[in-house]
Amino acid sequence: MNAVLEIKNLSVTLKRGGRDVTILDQLNLRIAPGEMQALVGESGSGKTIAALAIMRLLPPGAAITGEILLNGENLAAAVEPRMRQVRGKSVAMVFQNPLAALNPSRTIAAQIGEAWRVHQGGSAAQARARALELLDEVGIPDPKNRLNDYPHQFSGGMRQRVMIAMSLACSPHLLIADEPTTGLDPLIAQQIMTLIARLRRERDMAVLFVTHDLSVVQEHADSIHVLYAGRSVEWGAAAAFFQHPRHPYSEALLGSVARLGQARLRNIPGNLPEPEQRPPGCRFAPRCAYASAVCSTAYPPADAQGATLAACFHPLPRTARPAFAETLAPRPARNFAPLLDVTDLGVRYRGAGGWFGAARRLPPSLAEVSFRLGRGECLGVVGESGSGKSSLGRAVLQMIEYDGQVTLDGHDFHAMAGRAKRDLRRKIQVVFQDPRESMNPRMTIGEVIAEPLRLRGGLNNAARRARVEALLGQVGLNPEMAARHPGDVSGGQAQRIAIARALAAEPELIVLDEPTSALDVSTQAMLLNLLKDLSLKHALSYILISHDFAVVSYMSDRIAVLNAGRIVEMNETAALLSAPRAAYTRALIGAAPQLQPMQA
Amino acid sequence: MSEAAMLSLSKSLGGRLAGNATLKAGLVLSGLILFLGFVAPFLDPVNPYTIHPSHALQAPNGQFLFGTDELGRDALALLLSGGFTTLIVALPAALLAFFIGVTYGFLSGLGPAWLDRLLMRLLDVVLALPSLIVLLFFAALVPQSNFNLILLLGLISWPSLARLVRNEVLAQRGRDFMLAARQSGASSAYLARVHLLRVIAPILVVNGTFMIGDSVLATSALSFLGLGVQPPQESWGSLLQGALDIAALDPWWLILPPGLLIFGALLAASLTGQGLLQIWGNKR
Repeated sequence: MNAVLEIKNLSVTLKRGGRDVTILDQLNLRIAPGEMQALVGESGSGKTIAALAIMRLLPPGAAITGEILLNGENLAAAVEPRMRQVRGKSVAMVFQNPLAALNPSRTIAAQIGEAWRVHQGGSAAQARARALELLDEVGIPDPKNRLNDYPHQFSGGMRQRVMIAMSLACSPHLLIADEPTTGLDPLIAQQIMTLIARLRRERDMAVLFVTHDLSVVQEHADSIHVLYAGRSVEWGAAAAFFQHPRHPYSEALLGSVARLGQARLRNIPGNLPEPEQRPPGCRFAPRCAYASAVCSTAYPPADAQGATLAACFHPLPRTARPAFAETLAPRPARNFAPLLDVTDLGVRYRGAGGWFGAARRLPPSLAEVSFRLGRGECLGVVGESGSGKSSLGRAVLQMIEYDGQVTLDGHDFHAMAGRAKRDLRRKIQVVFQDPRESMNPRMTIGEVIAEPLRLRGGLNNAARRARVEALLGQVGLNPEMAARHPGDVSGGQAQRIAIARALAAEPELIVLDEPTSALDVSTQAMLLNLLKDLSLKHALSYILISHDFAVVSYMSDRIAVLNAGRIVEMNETAALLSAPRAAYTRALIGAAPQLQPMQA
Repeated sequence: MSEAAMLSLSKSLGGRLAGNATLKAGLVLSGLILFLGFVAPFLDPVNPYTIHPSHALQAPNGQFLFGTDELGRDALALLLSGGFTTLIVALPAALLAFFIGVTYGFLSGLGPAWLDRLLMRLLDVVLALPSLIVLLFFAALVPQSNFNLILLLGLISWPSLARLVRNEVLAQRGRDFMLAARQSGASSAYLARVHLLRVIAPILVVNGTFMIGDSVLATSALSFLGLGVQPPQESWGSLLQGALDIAALDPWWLILPPGLLIFGALLAASLTGQGLLQIWGNKR
């Protein structure tokens, strides 16, 4: 069959600090009509650059070599006026953040209609009719009455549907979806994926689906192409890939994705190399368990002995049984000494008031929440955005005002004041989602970690420095890191530093607010395992807040499911997974990536 | 900050400074203006107040390099002593306004909500008054001295900086690293000193330099209106005004130099500020 898109030997070089850096190296791929191909890679793999190269939307100073054939026409050599005809008409793109890609001051009918009229001409009335048709096709309920609405009147998932409708306006041959579900709640993300999968079948449209998340690929993609550090490592049919990954990186990546019912996540040792510091030969070799001397001599040729192609000197045999196919080890029942007692917790934010008028009363974001937490126990809190899970964390942290009681070690926060309250509050620490935001960019790492020590006092400079080095060691980082700035460390390292800072305060409880959702998959596993080990070693308790059911079930002894500010179900992890009582819990579990049984 | 960190900071600053033409131009020009204002007056042996009636209103010549004014005073000496007076008023005034503005902004941004509301309403009132008119009013009211002038200028030009600092503090105080510091028992004063000052330092420095420029201009403008520096002292503004009074005689050598120096001082402050913004602004 003819390919809609065929990429031959595509390389992209960007200017960075005055030097040419090759971001993407010799990419070859082809997509047939109606095929959905996933382009998978972690940050710095070159996947987004590949997508932008197809659209010829690379930053200034970028250089392309190779061919990008769209229905036989080489886009790599096309002039800009021709590209303007191609963009939106033959190739359309859906981005990660639909709110940023939509114009907030124009109705969606106007924006969808415009996308159509730019290329097809036609009257305003025709454009409006087309917009209606498209909104209906992407599943916007009651589309007739939503035509004149503005982007902010739609929820995140609905906005992404509007974006998709817009991209479909001219019936493109190729749809590039760049992380279209990142940032959406799992239930919504699943709906969007199902929608894209349906549309490409109905329209016989090729889809290039760019993502870092393997779990969303499995269900919908026909084929897969995995990039690591700018080069292809494995590509072929998706089903075969998930059954028998052949490249060691693919295997490691699959092993580090948290799935429901997993006993232990696998780490990938080391870090992703920067584009300037990619090793010679196979780029994964320094982190690979199977690497030998030959791996660092040259980039391995594609091995075609299996169902997929792997650029590897030591591809895994078809019969290899991936290491992550473990069954859930029964969690030892533990008796936890009581630590935290939360009774009848309620949080209500005040709306914006007038000058002197009373503030509007908003519905409570948290109501009648009660639970206990033992020493060394991890309580997982899951729920969609707006469920109140972050408010729960912030109330326990005493960052916001709340009704009800929070009692730590028998001391009720509301009954305390001054220094005693500050000292009690110190025992609850926090790790935030965005590791960059959680450190002052103008401090050194050493200063960041030393801050809780300084605030508590009682240590001289030398003792403090020694303590900082010890803490860095505890989270698996080099003591020399203390002199660096937050801007110079990777996301995974930054999150370890945030944990070290939390530990510096000698807490009894750490609130983990989506601690891994900003991290790459391979780094996530490392961090979760670190947290688990620390909890065992120091009898640390966690409240783990996440929208990711798999991550929560991996970490937690018990799980509380939050919906619209209330706990709808709370139970031991194993019991909740095997016999969820609430319908809402069942839906959340259904949307989480499941552990697929592997054949030997 | 440790010594090593200090060293690395100054090194990296030095490196970026060398690469920034705007900042280099600004610093060179600033140095020139400061030299003219604070050093040159004491190198020039000519007394600016000596009158040479027989040489009144002479164009530049061998004896008087910059010519003389209508009273026969040496224009170069006047220009240099005028520069000293201008800067000795403008710089402390800018410093005063800067400290009031920063303190006010921090109090408003970090304090309780009621204090913020009160301070901001008060600020609205101050901002609503046209500052030049208020300045004229008070300048006419209090006995005229350089010290009073500094106070007046300083007390009138802080509100815009205060509002800027307050908004910046509000935007920064909810950031995760501030919350984390609070969790470990940090007080508002600690947050201001350790976190906020560092994060908004670029904004402070840049606006501080702009303030100096504004202050030079305000000093000159007041002198120009006859309310600033009092005779026999001269400032660049009063020199310019004196020259324009006799503009019919076309004394270009009296108009051009003070005008150019006022312009130069503004440009120096503005270029320095822009340059600092360029090397700092991107790392927040």
